[in-house]
Amino acid sequence: MKKRLTKILSLLVVGAMTAATFVGCGSTGKEADGGSSDGAKIGVLVADVSGEEAQGFRNYYEKYIAENYDVEFTYTDALESAEDEKAAIEKFASQGCDAIISLSSSDRAQQIETCEKYGVYYAIASGVLDSEQYETYKGYEHFVGQVGPSNETEFEAGKEMGEYFKKQGTKSVAIYGAFIPNPMHVYRAAGVLVGLGCTYGGASDMDAIVGQIFADQGITLSKVAGDTQVVAYLQGYGDTTTDELNAAIQKNPEAFISVGMATTFFTQTLNEAGIQFSDIDSFTEANGAAIKDGKLVYLAGKYSSSIGPVFALVMNAINGNVIRDEDGNAVSVSQGYLVATDADSFDSFYLSDKGTNPIFSKDVLDTVIGDDVTFADVKALIESK
Amino acid sequence: MKQKMNQIKKNGIGQFLVTLLPFAALVVLFGLFVGVVSMKGYRLDMYLQIVFNEGVVLAVVATGAIFIYTLGTFDISLGAATLFAATMGVLAYNATENMGLMILAIFASGIICSLLNSVLASVFHIPAFVTTVAMMSVLTAVASQIITTKGGALGGISIPSVVVKDMDEPAFKIVLLAVFFLACFFIFNLTKAGRRQKFIGGNPVCAELTGIQFNKYTILAFTIAGIGVGLGAFLTLIYTPSVTTTTASSVGMNIFIAIVFGGMPISGGARSKIYASLVGGFSFMLLNDILDLVIDSSAAYGITQLISAVFFLAVVYVTSMNYRTQMLPR
Repeated sequence: MKKRLTKILSLLVVGAMTAATFVGCGSTGKEADGGSSDGAKIGVLVADVSGEEAQGFRNYYEKYIAENYDVEFTYTDALESAEDEKAAIEKFASQGCDAIISLSSSDRAQQIETCEKYGVYYAIASGVLDSEQYETYKGYEHFVGQVGPSNETEFEAGKEMGEYFKKQGTKSVAIYGAFIPNPMHVYRAAGVLVGLGCTYGGASDMDAIVGQIFADQGITLSKVAGDTQVVAYLQGYGDTTTDELNAAIQKNPEAFISVGMATTFFTQTLNEAGIQFSDIDSFTEANGAAIKDGKLVYLAGKYSSSIGPVFALVMNAINGNVIRDEDGNAVSVSQGYLVATDADSFDSFYLSDKGTNPIFSKDVLDTVIGDDVTFADVKALIESK
Repeated sequence: MKQKMNQIKKNGIGQFLVTLLPFAALVVLFGLFVGVVSMKGYRLDMYLQIVFNEGVVLAVVATGAIFIYTLGTFDISLGAATLFAATMGVLAYNATENMGLMILAIFASGIICSLLNSVLASVFHIPAFVTTVAMMSVLTAVASQIITTKGGALGGISIPSVVVKDMDEPAFKIVLLAVFFLACFFIFNLTKAGRRQKFIGGNPVCAELTGIQFNKYTILAFTIAGIGVGLGAFLTLIYTPSVTTTTASSVGMNIFIAIVFGGMPISGGARSKIYASLVGGFSFMLLNDILDLVIDSSAAYGITQLISAVFFLAVVYVTSMNYRTQMLPR
């Protein structure tokens, strides 16, 4: 009897500890959700919650935009599948969100259809639909648009990165494919191979290489041939690739080329190994340190406020001005990458996009938020930055 | 003697109360959920539908899995099998544009995957946890290969949403769940097969000595689990008519949690309960959604998982309080 009482008491303690955790985490000082104001409510779908780029985007929305506009952002946890995305949209709809901005890409078609079903505006802030999907959904009433790098832009970003090392006379490289078969990373990796002057399975054009990488679910080194020797290839989460990274370092590559998130996972190791590396990410403080004091020599990036125009499109739609292109379809504008190869060029992008004075500041965004704003205004602004 | 009788009576009441705990937890969680959603001013009808959609696939696959867990073993490849079956369904539909063939492909894939596990486990006497871990890797790899090759830049494969749109209704899903659950309930509680499976799970040596064929009931258990996998894959496609490499990725592990939340012992045997999958599956989903609603996602990543883990340990502790008696299970 006494033993059982002890067990029950232990359980009560566990319960109390859990309740305390609830209380401790339930609030961050500011009303997290629940409609504390009459302003706009925007849900944000995210798949990555820890990367430099993802954190930069979040800070911009939550710490700058939310402070300057009457808007409240609600973020999802890291979404892992199409089912998660659909459930998240349904939750946002039931919470009364006016619009959803997507940074998650498991199934964009399903996202658009679900938003249409619930009458919630929808916009894509990272990546774009492929052309066939865009043709299908461009006329949907609640699909506001997409502003981000197209697949061709991703390929070009990878290609320019590869060309950079080829021009430097680099003879051997290791490649990190990040989360292939994520389409964005596949296109970038294909571009890197072309930029290095390599063929893949005998192919040298974008579509053929991309098709093969999708089929191989990675880069098979035996299929790479050309001017630059690719001595190692790895992909996957940083903590699962430690052995592969060490093996790659043992092969003494002159450079380590990453198509995403190397600065999050590998900076310290590569700095210690003295191997110059490159990445496609964003202009953040940590990446600044890596390019100034470390071995990061090439960064193709987006600045954190590059998702500002999508916010403007969404705010216009919420306010009743759903902007359409010349043909009356959802907006689709491709955004390119900026490239930093040293501390000065990095600072020129980073410092001008910092904290209270981002590139897409309130003053700038106000020029494309309003009842009279047109597609031409938005497009001109995006292309000017 | 009288003291002993009192002790037996006390143990009986204790067991009864512990049996009621999962139901009580479900009711409490449901009440909390309704309270939190109402307090926040969200639409309760929509939220209830979301919880149902999140829980129904888990409940169906877990109901089939109960037969495997009852034998005292487990199958960690059920999530991967669900992904594989859904993949086969999409391929079948896109090749034939025939809904009947799609359903056939889904169920055939689910059952074949499960039977393969049972053959390896029962005929070749390879421990089930070894075969199912291997199967999980193989099925995930094969499905991923198909999805990435055929899906390309889209990142997934899909059937036209119009094909399954009409079925994405709670009433239809409730009917499917009810039919499958009642069939499983009947087999589990009212047939010789169900009783013998519990016997095998409780004491395989005694079961064998009384002439019960272990292989026969293992194959039966895996077949029913395969049907559950097929139904789960079908329901997944109804909800999102696209399949990506991460489809159903959480199902495999959640089955285990759901069954424990439902009050079933991990060791299987006589105390196994077919309703554990339903009660536990929906309790788990309610708990997750309550935590999502209460905890600001920016407060700390992984805090919901941490609290879920504490609940999980607490549930295992409560249910195990009642096992270590000196009496055989009644």
